[in-house]
Amino acid sequence: MPAQPLIEASGLALGYGTGPAAVTDVSFRLEVGQRLALLGPNGGGKTTVLRALLGELRPRAGTLRVAASCGSVPQTDRSRLDYPVSALEVAAMGTLSRLPWWRGPGREGREQALRALERVGLERLAGDTFGELSGGQRQRVLIARALVQDARVLLMDEPFSGLDHPASERLEALIETLAAEGHAIVVATHDLEQARRWDSVLCVNGRQIAVGPPLEVLDREVLEATYGGAIVEIPGTGSRAILPPHHHDH
Amino acid sequence: MLETLELPFVQRGLFELLILAVPAGLLGTWIVLRGLAFFSHAVGTAAFPGLVLADGLGFAAPLGAFAAAIAFTLGNAALGRGRDQGRDSIVALVLVACLAGGVLLASDVFGSGANVETLLFGSLLLIDGSDLVLAAVAAAATLAANVVVGRRWLAHGFDPGARPASRGEARLLDALLLGLIALATTAALTAVGALLVASLFVVPAATARLLTGRMRSWQLASVALVAVEGTLGLWLSVETDAPPGATIACVAGGLFALVALGRALARAPRRQASLAAAALALALLAAGCGAAGSDDDGRLEVVATTTQVGDWVREVGGGAVAVDQVLEPNTDPHEYEPRPSDVEAAAGADLVFASGDDLDSWIEEIVSDSGSDATVVDLGAGVPERLPGEDSGEEASRFDPHWWHDPRNAEAAVREIERRLAAADPARRAEFQRNADAYLGRLRRLDAGIAACIGAVPASERKLVTDHDAFGYFANRYGIEVVGAVIPSQTTQAQASAKDVSELIGLIEREGVKAVFPESSLSANVAEAISRQTGASADYELYGDTLGPADSDGATYLTMEAANAEAIVRGFTGGRRGCRLSP
Amino acid sequence: MLEPLQEPFMQRAIAEMTMLALAGAAVGCWVVLFELSYATESLAHSLFPGLVVAAIAGLPLLLGATPAVVLAALAIALASRVQGVSRDLAVAVVVTTMFGLGALLALSPDSPPGIESLLFGDILGPTDGDLIASAALLALLVVTLPLLHARLLATGFDRGAASALGLSPGRWEAALTVLLALAIVVAVQGLGNLLVVAVFVGPAAAARNLTSRMGPMIAVAAAIAVLAGLAGLYLSYYAGTAGGASVALAIVAAYLLSLPARHLRLPRAARAGATIG
Repeated sequence: MPAQPLIEASGLALGYGTGPAAVTDVSFRLEVGQRLALLGPNGGGKTTVLRALLGELRPRAGTLRVAASCGSVPQTDRSRLDYPVSALEVAAMGTLSRLPWWRGPGREGREQALRALERVGLERLAGDTFGELSGGQRQRVLIARALVQDARVLLMDEPFSGLDHPASERLEALIETLAAEGHAIVVATHDLEQARRWDSVLCVNGRQIAVGPPLEVLDREVLEATYGGAIVEIPGTGSRAILPPHHHDH
Repeated sequence: MLETLELPFVQRGLFELLILAVPAGLLGTWIVLRGLAFFSHAVGTAAFPGLVLADGLGFAAPLGAFAAAIAFTLGNAALGRGRDQGRDSIVALVLVACLAGGVLLASDVFGSGANVETLLFGSLLLIDGSDLVLAAVAAAATLAANVVVGRRWLAHGFDPGARPASRGEARLLDALLLGLIALATTAALTAVGALLVASLFVVPAATARLLTGRMRSWQLASVALVAVEGTLGLWLSVETDAPPGATIACVAGGLFALVALGRALARAPRRQASLAAAALALALLAAGCGAAGSDDDGRLEVVATTTQVGDWVREVGGGAVAVDQVLEPNTDPHEYEPRPSDVEAAAGADLVFASGDDLDSWIEEIVSDSGSDATVVDLGAGVPERLPGEDSGEEASRFDPHWWHDPRNAEAAVREIERRLAAADPARRAEFQRNADAYLGRLRRLDAGIAACIGAVPASERKLVTDHDAFGYFANRYGIEVVGAVIPSQTTQAQASAKDVSELIGLIEREGVKAVFPESSLSANVAEAISRQTGASADYELYGDTLGPADSDGATYLTMEAANAEAIVRGFTGGRRGCRLSP
Repeated sequence: MLEPLQEPFMQRAIAEMTMLALAGAAVGCWVVLFELSYATESLAHSLFPGLVVAAIAGLPLLLGATPAVVLAALAIALASRVQGVSRDLAVAVVVTTMFGLGALLALSPDSPPGIESLLFGDILGPTDGDLIASAALLALLVVTLPLLHARLLATGFDRGAASALGLSPGRWEAALTVLLALAIVVAVQGLGNLLVVAVFVGPAAAARNLTSRMGPMIAVAAAIAVLAGLAGLYLSYYAGTAGGASVALAIVAAYLLSLPARHLRLPRAARAGATIG
């Protein structure tokens, strides 16, 4: 039963300011309940695509139809760890999409935020400062914000980076639950194995390399075009992994 | 235009700017590349308390400035350790602390000694040999560093993530760059002042950036632009009689706008921009060639420092004398910054009349800078009535400099003027004597009239409260008691403190004074506040340091004294009585 | 200790200082959160020629300050659009030029002396007009800041998500900038355009070291600002130090005192990456 896709992109070209195009030829559809892995090297255009889907970046060419509200779950880079907000206050920000411009979340908004935090398992930490939470917990708070927003589409930028195994598993389970409930989720990730478990992959590296079900799409050719050849065979398992470029992150 | 360049002070200023072009231009490119514009402005500003300290304690200004600059750089690093962003709040606070500290030092520790404005906006005319040496040192150091570590700076600047040999080396590179900026901005402080260093270090480099993107040509263009803008600014300031530092800043900004506009409009930006710049330069050159030379029509060329002295010389000299008066009405002599045109005038002068007693000590430098051999006649030295001056602070002078408010002193000064004019132009001796005699007749009548008018007020009610200790002589002559002052020193630069205000109010209430007299050339806000609280009126204005403008009742010395007497007596009597003198 | 409070001129000075402190602290919390310290400093500097022109013409300073701010904002916007010129650089160029222009006008023979009061403020002698302007500013902020609070918080926290939430971040940032400009224009009378940045940055940065929620941060900043203002005025009263400078130094002292608290409050990792305070 072909339902309306939540997001439909065709021939998108995206860039910043008057500079060269950051990514071109992006065409894909995102359906209800789909988990889409966004693959590509750093600087290859993943974040650019996400920003366009969020509405932050206007397409230079092509069409983009976003039929649902999108919730943003960005990387919590270091700059926002010092922000004077609690987890509850962050989640409550989701209500702003529905309120008139002069009204804040209020008590009702905070209750909605608390329920969203319950759903992601963080109700105990509602009063804690956002920056004091662990990486995985921060991701879940931002998901809660998207849930409060009633976003049908969640856009997540490398949410698994820096997470230990249990936190990673927990997050993946949460994503599965949300997908089952009807949300569509786009996740920029480096984890090929994880991408294989999902419904669809989109590979970009300055341009769209491929899109489709992972088992069909992820062959050696596509992976090399996407990552520029840094494919490693993991001995003993017969599977392949990507060596992401060494990133200076201090 | 070329005559301007013959003046020695202009030549010194030119050398300074040309030497500074090297460090300013080179460091400017690094400043733009590394986003250090705010920092370079800040380090110049932070030098301000160092300058005040040096001025107050009497050691070389560049030392104080450099020490402050280094302290700022280190303090900035210490407070900002471990942050990448958020430094701006800290830098802003440190700057404020430096400026406020400097004001506090100037106002309350050294008794408003430093010339705050000169320190903040520069004084290209007062550059001496040590400034040139410092500039040369900064230029040499910058050049050397640029050659030796320029490549490393470039690598580090474009990708801070790229690891140099070690983290320690990165710190050293940064420290070297920041240290050089501190040194070079210190060297530039005399020229453009603590607040306008960016006009040499940032704006030209930014302009050059618009013309070329490659490092080598960018650096060359930047150095060239600093030299051109500095020269143009200096020349313009001489022609238009404007402060040099501010003129350079405006030229730099204007050129930036021109180049940016050219780039935006034209298809071949580089050509267009340089065409526009060339056109502008030509236009200015043409204007400059039409600059007026000095006229020599057989009259005596005389320079007078203050408005009062100028008035007397014009009265005595009449049409036989061309008077170049340095100060304008309502310009504070204590904080006056000499202009290029002053030095030009001094160059062609036969005689220079000064008021003396450190009121206008800047005239000595003007005369020596101009290369003139005219003698400076200190009129204050020969007056009969002398009162002691402030015994502390920068205004500490042996005698109170406001001697002209006693007509007996004025008479002596007028006689001295007559004598000197006659010596310089003996053919007109009789004419000068006639003028002087007539003038002194009017003066004596005025003196008698004022004495009678003030004498009619009971002695117990003759209390004068004013915010400028300029009326000691007047009070001494006519039996008036001077009560307190809002800014209790003989300069007008200190920022008032609440304690001063409160004490003065207490004094007014104790003495039962009916009027407060704000100096007409001072802002009257605080005096207004005092009068609001005590009921004493603050409407009457007195002429303390200078005459009033041409259309006021204080335009000449005689009318000024009469106006003062009128205002004072009205103040004493709560507005009921005046003096009605017609000098 | 109550002596200063009994003198009418001190009462006026304290009233002016308190209003400016409250206004500065409230707006200042957003200045610090959005990293606008440099912009504040630059706006204040670029006011200078406007103030000088107003002073020469005998007009109230506000009338000169406002067009100067507008001119500066336009010039900065234009300059930033030139390729190769970052926004910071554009600000530096425009501010230096305007400040130079102001100095050119101020030091010309026609201008009345006393430009120190433009540079360093005249907190001891607020006119009725100044007091009314400060009260009006405070009233405006009391009305508008609560309305802006939630959306400014969301926009400052995560600009991208703000877009996704349907807020247009540019609009809210512009609103903040306008309020900031208004506040600077009013505060410049009391503290002068070289020192006015203190009241916006100092109390907020100090409060940031002491609290970790926005609401308390504003309250603490307000309290610090008022106390520091009082302390500065008291210092000027009892020790005879220059008025505006004393207030500025008291604010800086409050910030320095708050620094140790920062180390107690933040865990090391967050401190290393922290941006504010």
